[in-house]
Amino acid sequence: MKTDLLGRTARIGGWLGLCMLLAGQAWANPHRLDDSQSQVVPPHVKMQWRSIAPGQGDTGMEAWVRVNLRIATGAWLGRSGRIYMVLPRDQSATLEAQWTTQGRLLAGRLITGERTLVWAGVIASDTLEDQLLVRLRAPSDWGDSSRRLNFYFELHTN
Amino acid sequence: MPLRLFSIDPALAWLMAAGVLAANAAQAWTLTIDRAGPRVFLHVGNGTADADNSTINRVEVSLTGAQLLSGVPQAMTTDSTQSQSLQRNGFTTCPNPASQILVGTSYRHNNINHERGSTVLSVTSPPSLTSASGDTIPFSEISWSVSAPGSPTPNVIPSGSFTGAQQTLATVAVNTYIENCHSFSYANSALQAAGTYNGRVTYTITIP
Repeated sequence: MKTDLLGRTARIGGWLGLCMLLAGQAWANPHRLDDSQSQVVPPHVKMQWRSIAPGQGDTGMEAWVRVNLRIATGAWLGRSGRIYMVLPRDQSATLEAQWTTQGRLLAGRLITGERTLVWAGVIASDTLEDQLLVRLRAPSDWGDSSRRLNFYFELHTN
Repeated sequence: MPLRLFSIDPALAWLMAAGVLAANAAQAWTLTIDRAGPRVFLHVGNGTADADNSTINRVEVSLTGAQLLSGVPQAMTTDSTQSQSLQRNGFTTCPNPASQILVGTSYRHNNINHERGSTVLSVTSPPSLTSASGDTIPFSEISWSVSAPGSPTPNVIPSGSFTGAQQTLATVAVNTYIENCHSFSYANSALQAAGTYNGRVTYTITIP
């Protein structure tokens, strides 16, 4: 009897935990979105020195990439909210990303450690697709020979 | 007895919850970027932005007998056609290339873990210009003035005259760029034997 009571208590606890997590999943902002179907062209790029004028300070380096975005939004169909693009800070020098789009998402700019709004409205489809032309710029005092950038998207539901 | 359509072990419930969380750690779009490599740039006369250019421009003057006797300095002309900067987004640095040689230089480098220092722009001239018959004119007879319309530092490479040896023209901080136009002049300070006198000067950039 005692063992049965403990088992029942544990079951109730487990269900409560699951419900709490599911509730948290459903309501807590922000929601990290899956864009694993996106493609970056090229996925590996070398920065080039920017042009420089006499008397001008260090202009740094830049590179261009195209991103074919495919963000999974099916789990939030019918919900309204805002989607932000995030570029986490890393250990290297500050990097600036500026992009144009085909119109589904907003064009914009962000630097490492920041996020910026790229979409707002009611989610009406399973995926959100667009093509970004991204310009990356960084100062020359950049110690590592290469670095990996991990952009991601987060959804804030209303 | 309560009706149970299915049961889930508490441990399984937690596993399911963990699975939900794992699914929430979605992917991001990623890319790898390499920094730009060191880049030395030196542009004298006709040049090409991102490639070597083997052109050696000629600067010359032909004097009449009267000009020779006058002793008045004579402006020299060039066969350069380079009016636009190769670094400054096509800016017209030398509007009159027929009488100007564009000189520009920079050294680009990622500073961290690299000895900071300045690049040195120098020019080397032989002691004399020589004719086919062996007559000579001191290279110091040739001087240059500088200009750079629209530049905040038009004298960044100063005016001067050749010394017949290597001479420093300017120092350039890493990741900066200097350029201006050089207009050459023959001093005409002494009578010379008739003939065509030739000599070649070489511009050099030395990096730290």
